[in-house]
Amino acid sequence: MIGANRLVLGNGIVHVVGDAHISVDEEKKLRRQLVEKALAALQSDGK
Amino acid sequence: MRIVHYLNQFFGGLGGEEQAGAPLEARDEAVGPGRLLEQLLGADAKVVLSLICGDNYAVEHQDTFIAAALEKIRAANADLLVAGPCFLAGRYGVAAGALCSAVQSKLGLPVITGMARENPGADLYRETLYIIDSGESAARMREVLERMTQFAQKLMAKKAIGSPKDEGCIPRGLIRDQFVERTAGERLVDMALAKVRGEPFESEMAPAAFAPVPIPPPVRNLKTAKVMLITDGGLVPKGNPDQIQASAATRWGSYSIKDRGDLRAEDYEISHGGYDPQFVRLDPDRLVPLDAMRELEKDGAIGELCDEFISTSGLANPLSNTRRMGREMAERAKSLGVDAIILTST
Repeated sequence: MIGANRLVLGNGIVHVVGDAHISVDEEKKLRRQLVEKALAALQSDGK
Repeated sequence: MRIVHYLNQFFGGLGGEEQAGAPLEARDEAVGPGRLLEQLLGADAKVVLSLICGDNYAVEHQDTFIAAALEKIRAANADLLVAGPCFLAGRYGVAAGALCSAVQSKLGLPVITGMARENPGADLYRETLYIIDSGESAARMREVLERMTQFAQKLMAKKAIGSPKDEGCIPRGLIRDQFVERTAGERLVDMALAKVRGEPFESEMAPAAFAPVPIPPPVRNLKTAKVMLITDGGLVPKGNPDQIQASAATRWGSYSIKDRGDLRAEDYEISHGGYDPQFVRLDPDRLVPLDAMRELEKDGAIGELCDEFISTSGLANPLSNTRRMGREMAERAKSLGVDAIILTST
């Protein structure tokens, strides 16, 4: 979305911080990465 | 004409912010700007009851405040309730709107209030109430009271109410049918030509506009921060105890995740309808990433995860619901000492 601040792109609508097509371990890693991106955004100026 | 006037601690003469916790007080005469109000309404008008309440009290104990005020207004045998004007004072505007709305629906009395367009009370109550656009500056009190009294007189005389622009009200978002001389095509072409020439024109429907929300500064130290998870994906405890609607939800809930390391499928269900819930049903952490947040909490990346998560459904949800819910959620987060929020959205 244009101009949206502190917005992290999730992995699709139906599993925003997940993925139904990879292994459980890979999914946990993906989730952690997405959440870490969110935490980084919280510390940014947000532009 | 018997008038009830609602004022906050400041306009009621109790004091400033330090009196914002003052409970509801009743006086049997006009107070502060109420005196001018009485004058403007004419010789046969009397403020028989002034209700004064601290802004914090009115907002934090809204139900008690409204119930007590309704009692007193009933007993006063009033013909009209005037609230404010509140200008930009947000708690005042919210309290005035809530009171006017209750008096209108429960007592069937004519009500009038005034506040700035940006007042959160205007946002919440514009569709229910006639709100005179007072602008931000209390220096215009006299002019605003004049408009409020003129409008009140129209209401009492059951005269036809004109357009928001004519009456000086905040637009209510209602659409009225009207016969006009020229066809839509002609009117549109005229507007387009005016726009191209840089001439003024007036759109027949104004798109919903709202003041941009200023972005908060970044979290200073994440390692000591309390972080909360919120979702609009409609994840709710099994049984949907708060009966959060799947679409155009007017309710939200805050649910305990105390001592939980992850969200279990059997404990939750989804009240949404805008996405295929099968994957989130199997593992709710795919929507509300509790397990990842617990890990990060253990690793010291954040200070603490809030032991509640907040949820509602964002599906087909009009701003009139979501702006209110957003404010309420923010209040809850603040009361829990939350520093930052991660909102996961479908």
